[in-house]
Amino acid sequence: MIVIENVEKRFGETTVLKRINLTIEPGEVVTILGSSGSGKSTLIRCINGLEALSGGRITVDGNDVSTKAGLATARRRSATVFQLFNLYPHMTALENITLAPINVLKKPRAEAEARARELLKLVGLADLATAYPQRLSGGQRQRVGICRALAMDPRYLLLDEVTSALDPEMTGEVLDILAELARGGTTMLFVTHEVEFARRISSRIVFLEQGELIVDMPTERFFAEDGGFAVPRIRQFLTKMKKD
Amino acid sequence: MRYADFTPYDLVLLAQGLGVTVGLFTLTTLVGLLIAALFTLVDYYRVPVLRQVIVTVSEALKNSPVLVQLFLVFFGLPAFFHINMTPFVAASLTISLNTAAFAFVIFRSGIDAVEAEQVAAAKVYGHSRWQILRFVLLPQAAAFSIGPLVGLLVNQLQVTSLISVIGVFDLTKIGNILNLRTLEPFIVWTVVGLLYYALAKLLASVGARIEKRLRRSVVWEGI
Amino acid sequence: MNQLWVTLRPHLPFMLDGFLLTVFACTLAIIGAVLIGALMASLRTSGNRIVRGVAFAYSDVFRNTPFIVQLFFFFYGLPEIGIYIGAFETGVIALSIIGGAFVSDVIRSGILAVDQGVIEAAKVSGLSRWTIFTKIVLPIALRTSVRPMGSVLINMVLTSSILSTITINELTGTAKIVASTTFKPFEVYLVLLVLYASLTYALSLLINTVHRRLNRAMDTGGAA
Repeated sequence: MIVIENVEKRFGETTVLKRINLTIEPGEVVTILGSSGSGKSTLIRCINGLEALSGGRITVDGNDVSTKAGLATARRRSATVFQLFNLYPHMTALENITLAPINVLKKPRAEAEARARELLKLVGLADLATAYPQRLSGGQRQRVGICRALAMDPRYLLLDEVTSALDPEMTGEVLDILAELARGGTTMLFVTHEVEFARRISSRIVFLEQGELIVDMPTERFFAEDGGFAVPRIRQFLTKMKKD
Repeated sequence: MRYADFTPYDLVLLAQGLGVTVGLFTLTTLVGLLIAALFTLVDYYRVPVLRQVIVTVSEALKNSPVLVQLFLVFFGLPAFFHINMTPFVAASLTISLNTAAFAFVIFRSGIDAVEAEQVAAAKVYGHSRWQILRFVLLPQAAAFSIGPLVGLLVNQLQVTSLISVIGVFDLTKIGNILNLRTLEPFIVWTVVGLLYYALAKLLASVGARIEKRLRRSVVWEGI
Repeated sequence: MNQLWVTLRPHLPFMLDGFLLTVFACTLAIIGAVLIGALMASLRTSGNRIVRGVAFAYSDVFRNTPFIVQLFFFFYGLPEIGIYIGAFETGVIALSIIGGAFVSDVIRSGILAVDQGVIEAAKVSGLSRWTIFTKIVLPIALRTSVRPMGSVLINMVLTSSILSTITINELTGTAKIVASTTFKPFEVYLVLLVLYASLTYALSLLINTVHRRLNRAMDTGGAA
């Protein structure tokens, strides 16, 4: 369980997150919606410890991410997929995927590689195991990014606008994989602009507006006329997203 | 007071050496940049033969030690062509050409750094090659070049110290004299080194100021 | 041309000795410079302000003063404080020190140029600082640094000619002697110039090959 309590984040004078409270139970797929600059990505970066909190507390299975030991455990239980892939450019797809399992989980190389090949096959990249990121398309890179995350056998998958840098057709191939994972019961915290997709796969939707969590509803309620649509700001957001 | 001790007159000597260093550096920089500009023109207009010669000479100058170039000019030229050569003339000639060789490459890549589309656009509008150089390429190339050029000149300032080896009484040569007389190498070379250091920093800060101004007028953010 | 050959021929073995000494001195100094440079570059990322300051000052001072002044400082200065080593050793040490100043800057900018996102990906996957540095940051920095590092090494070879001013008979030193004994300074120095140019040209070919080999597969630009 990921528990976010009264979390605040300030960069100098600007407050990016204001008293955020959110709990993610195992098995849930929670989507965070909101316009750019609403603090969605910052929230993910607070959970995986890339940003230090200005206030409040985040725990992953009871491990406080603001402590060194807590963060180490939290990072072992969760895995992040990034908007710009952030693959290691000097390593093949396979090496990208096996680096952490070998060095952090201390898996034997052969076992880590076997698992990596399995994952690559799962995302349809079986024959690109020895390719360097340079040679891969954006969609292929992001699929390797997802394999890299899954290879850590994470309890929680943190997805930070993973399709924002992709063309529409490549977006499809990545989203299909994520939908498959959601069906398989992987716990996900999903920051995205893909409203329709969020509606399809999430169990809950959270809406952030200027650093404040203004709505946290089951997906159906969120898209209902008397639910999320009743909130003027969300109606405006959803209508605009549809037009785009 | 022993004969070997420092005297107030040593400060005058140091000042003279500093003057020679600064003077020769200024002279060779001006001459060198002028030659480099001519080289760049020859290259830009693709003057046959001359262009190849310039490229070869500047490669040779960039890829051989300045000390060897100094020896070639100071000892070699007079012996081969039976001409007179003073240390100062040899030093000025060598350092000027050396600066020119490096500056030429900087200018050329400055021009290359301007997008081909801009040149194509200017051509379409019927501008002559000279007009393109004058109004499109040069202003931008200047902004691209100034940073590397300042770096080069800071380096060339250090390079001038080598002229002491062929007998020019620059700052390093004065250091040599004081060193041999006082036998206080740490003091002498620290002072000499600090003077060079101060000159380099002065040059770099002036360069940074010019760069800022040039960039502001030429590089439009966000276009 | 033929006459020049006849004049120079007897001196060739002597100049070959000089050439070998240049190669030897440069090899030692390059090893020294890379070690010093790597150390100084890592000190510049230290948490301690004083350590960082010292490492910065080192590169700043040695980059902004002439090598010949540094060389004389050591050559005349070391015996004053009771360190008696030969001219050759002094020369190699001085060359390593100035080379190290430049190498440290090259490594540092290579490290700073590594895409921050890539480092973040490594951090969140729980890799230790050491693993991130040795397996991610350093290998990427090395690949992007080959060319700038190459020009530093070429510069060191050219700078090594200045060792002749402290009585070391490396290539330039032997050429000076041959020039004065044959009374053919123009020819000798011209040949010398061509020799150095060929040496650095060969070195630059080598550097290009290394650069291509290391970067064949890699995109140094990061994302799409």
